[in-house]
Amino acid sequence: MVQPILAAKDVTIKFSLRGRILTAIRGASLNLYAGQTLAIVGESGSGKSVFTKSFVGMLDSNGWVESGEIMFEGQDLAKFKHDKEWSAIRGCKIAMVFQDPMTALNPLRTIGLQIQEAVELHSDARGSVAKARTLELLRDVGIDDALHRYHQFPHEFSGGMRQRVVIAIAMACSPRILICDEPTTALDVTIQAQILGLIRTLQERYNLTVIYITHDLGVVANVATAVAVMYAGDIIEYGTSSEIFYNAQHPYTWALLSSLPQLGIKGQPLYSIKGTPPNLFAEIVGDAFAPRNPLALKIDFVERPPYFQVSPTHYARTWLLDPRAPKIDPPATIKHLREKFVGVRA
Amino acid sequence: MNKTREVLLDVRNLRVEFKGKSREPFVAVNDVSFQIYRGETFGLVGESGSGKTTIGRAIVRINETAGGEIYFKGRQINGRIPKELDYEITQKIQMIFQDPMASLNERAKVDYIVSEGLYNTKAYKDESERKAKVEAALLAVGLLPEFASRFPHEFSGGQRQRIGVARAFVMQPEFIIADEPISSLDVSIRAQVLNLLADLQRLHGLTYMFIAHDLSVVRFITDRVAVINKGQIVELAETEELFANPLHPYTRSLLSAVPVPDPIEEKKKQVIAYDPSQHNYTVQKPLWTEVTPGHFVLGNADEVAEYSISRA
Amino acid sequence: MISKKMTTLEQQDLFTLANYDASLGERTGYSNYSYWSSTVRVFLKNWAAVACLVILTILLVFTFVQPYLPAQRDPNEINISPETSRQLRNVPPGQEFWFGTNSIGQDLWARIWTGTRTSLGIGIAVATWNITIGIIVGAIWGYVRRLDRLITEIYNVLDNIPTTIVMTLMAYMLRPSISTLVIAMGVTGWVPVARFIRTQVVIIRDREYNLASRCLGTPASRIITRNLLPYLVSVIMLRFALAIPGAIGAEVFLTYIGLGLPLNIPSLGNLINEGRQLMMIPTMRYQLIFPSIVLSLITISFYVMGNAFSDAADPRNHV
Repeated sequence: MVQPILAAKDVTIKFSLRGRILTAIRGASLNLYAGQTLAIVGESGSGKSVFTKSFVGMLDSNGWVESGEIMFEGQDLAKFKHDKEWSAIRGCKIAMVFQDPMTALNPLRTIGLQIQEAVELHSDARGSVAKARTLELLRDVGIDDALHRYHQFPHEFSGGMRQRVVIAIAMACSPRILICDEPTTALDVTIQAQILGLIRTLQERYNLTVIYITHDLGVVANVATAVAVMYAGDIIEYGTSSEIFYNAQHPYTWALLSSLPQLGIKGQPLYSIKGTPPNLFAEIVGDAFAPRNPLALKIDFVERPPYFQVSPTHYARTWLLDPRAPKIDPPATIKHLREKFVGVRA
Repeated sequence: MNKTREVLLDVRNLRVEFKGKSREPFVAVNDVSFQIYRGETFGLVGESGSGKTTIGRAIVRINETAGGEIYFKGRQINGRIPKELDYEITQKIQMIFQDPMASLNERAKVDYIVSEGLYNTKAYKDESERKAKVEAALLAVGLLPEFASRFPHEFSGGQRQRIGVARAFVMQPEFIIADEPISSLDVSIRAQVLNLLADLQRLHGLTYMFIAHDLSVVRFITDRVAVINKGQIVELAETEELFANPLHPYTRSLLSAVPVPDPIEEKKKQVIAYDPSQHNYTVQKPLWTEVTPGHFVLGNADEVAEYSISRA
Repeated sequence: MISKKMTTLEQQDLFTLANYDASLGERTGYSNYSYWSSTVRVFLKNWAAVACLVILTILLVFTFVQPYLPAQRDPNEINISPETSRQLRNVPPGQEFWFGTNSIGQDLWARIWTGTRTSLGIGIAVATWNITIGIIVGAIWGYVRRLDRLITEIYNVLDNIPTTIVMTLMAYMLRPSISTLVIAMGVTGWVPVARFIRTQVVIIRDREYNLASRCLGTPASRIITRNLLPYLVSVIMLRFALAIPGAIGAEVFLTYIGLGLPLNIPSLGNLINEGRQLMMIPTMRYQLIFPSIVLSLITISFYVMGNAFSDAADPRNHV
């Protein structure tokens, strides 16, 4: 039985906001295996960023991990209290790449110095040794003219190049896990393809495990081997990429896939999810998606569904998988996708 | 296809410049021409900095034009125009903006935001008629009338975008320019707004210009698409024709890079890079040529010949 | 909860489709956030600011209530000792005169409160004038692009004229009085405010919501009053809060160089000036200390409160 390199179990994260308590993550569990590319999909407010920030101790100062455990290399990251405890992990074993490369870089320092700073922080290399490593990193991320570029400032780079620099900083310490929070949303489509390709190359070369946080299912289809779908602070379905796309089980995943214009039929209205995500200040009874779910069962309003197993790698939190539930016909788009699944499995 | 359709918007040789720090002004839009027919959804697709937003803003007179003409129902609407025409355009041409977080006045109630255009054109007899119009607009976009007394920050991104649609729609326009209306929205909310736009078009005979950077979304809603790169339109065709037979190398590159939410397709895909220097325009200048009926491409004589062969 | 106590029928019923109400989904998004109540809440969390607010309120109330209290003396009355029939000059603070008397026998207690009223009045009048004119000019300057170059050139000229010289000239030309001071400080005081407002307007004038308003045909005047200025309320309040002690300080300065109010109109300016002349004599230092304390309290309170309010009005602090 392969052990996961990161195992989050029943994590609950709360925030104190304007005098009230908001439960951003409600008992989510996740297993990350070495070499995987996991995509965490969800709309804004689902908690996907918050969840991964708790892996590197970067929750905002008004947030805390209330319960649950996050096991990484034998340590429970959920129990860390001080920044000091995080210094060996953050940036070093687990690194993060953020969405906007412009604000992630210091406009007043050359990018060479910024990368070198990361190198020196996480290793014993200094001076010329650190510089050599910096140049090596620059070449690794596809910036060929490394020596010349070393002395340039962020504003002299285009958006895609800046994101490469940010990736270089993240790779400075040869981390085991790289978390990319919407790394290509601010970039053009052609540059996006390049950056995704770059991360894939680095992954193969350095045996990285990558977590992508995104709401773009196209990106997910491109990069992910495993997918976790988040809604209202909970992971409601996870499985391999094929299983989630071609054999989704949770009504929210169905709704998500059915509402994609790329999968729609011209002239017919897209399947759209009515309403808005729930208010996380209030306590949520039952399934959080129930009020917006035309296929909800009465029990969805009463009791929260547990994880039901669809396959050894595929779990979904929906009462529809309970043997007592009626057989529901999924929407047309999903049935169409299921036909592809049969082909994949065979 | 060759029926005589009414040309609602006619853009000819449009040129828009921005004054920068250097002497040379920056040419954002360079000799762009196209027509939009009544009742259709016209897509304008390009990457950031291509000039697509600038074109939209030039039509609603937010940006000034440096050359060329824009005709609406036969009358020129760029440059200096009489006040009555300005009023008329304000009512007949409206815009939906990209970022629902930035396009609403945070300090004003939804009631004022939606009524703003009505106040400006005095398009109501009395207070009760104005209120009725606001209520009707909110209902038309799927929001509850009680939302009129609230502030924008109390709503989600999708709801805010719908308020933006209501604001444009309450004017009863004929032509709406939608500037990346779903790019800033969550994936699950995009369908709501797209369906809403389609419904409004069907019920009220609206014409849309849909500006976007995502070709795969555009395929679903538009009738014709123009692809723009660095201020010039490089290809224009009916949507299915463009996707089936992309001629210009930039269009091909763009199509190959768009991620499709289908893992099998994605694994098979090869990204084609676009290199602008592959065009040799020193001897033969590029012309806007109709290769097959309705399918235009920018290229010099040699390139067009190539495209015709590959198309045939 | 599903429990064994439920009958099989009840369990079965739970697993049937529920009635779907679309509007339920629409309502769950409501967040109940109010900008102003969050501003007030964050402000009240800052105990230093609240303390200053309390002090300032007490001070303000007292300056207006003081003349109506019993046994108050007239600030200009020269107090004569009944026994010696001589002026009660420079009497140190005590039972009879709480703040003592000055060098001609006037009651300092009455003079200080009257003077505070006068100075506050001047400060608020000047600040109001400067901020109002500054907003009007600054907003037009920032928003109307055609006037930008013209007003910038005018600003460059005005800015280079030393305000001190203008103030002293005006105070010199006109007879010393409250209105003279207000005019002198108002002639140039609005210029830096206009510049500041112009910068803020330039930052927000091309935001999408303003473009949307232009697209809807909203005239510039309404864009300024309903789109731009409401955004700038917090920074305007800060400038206003700092302008008041600034004006009072300018008044003190003018008095120092001899162009302030006449002595029969007490103000913090001439009180401090009088006290300064006796500074070197230890027993008479009280004449400088008391008005200085009052001035310091006012200045510090406005400063702390202004900054605290400005921070509280920033939505990013509403956490």
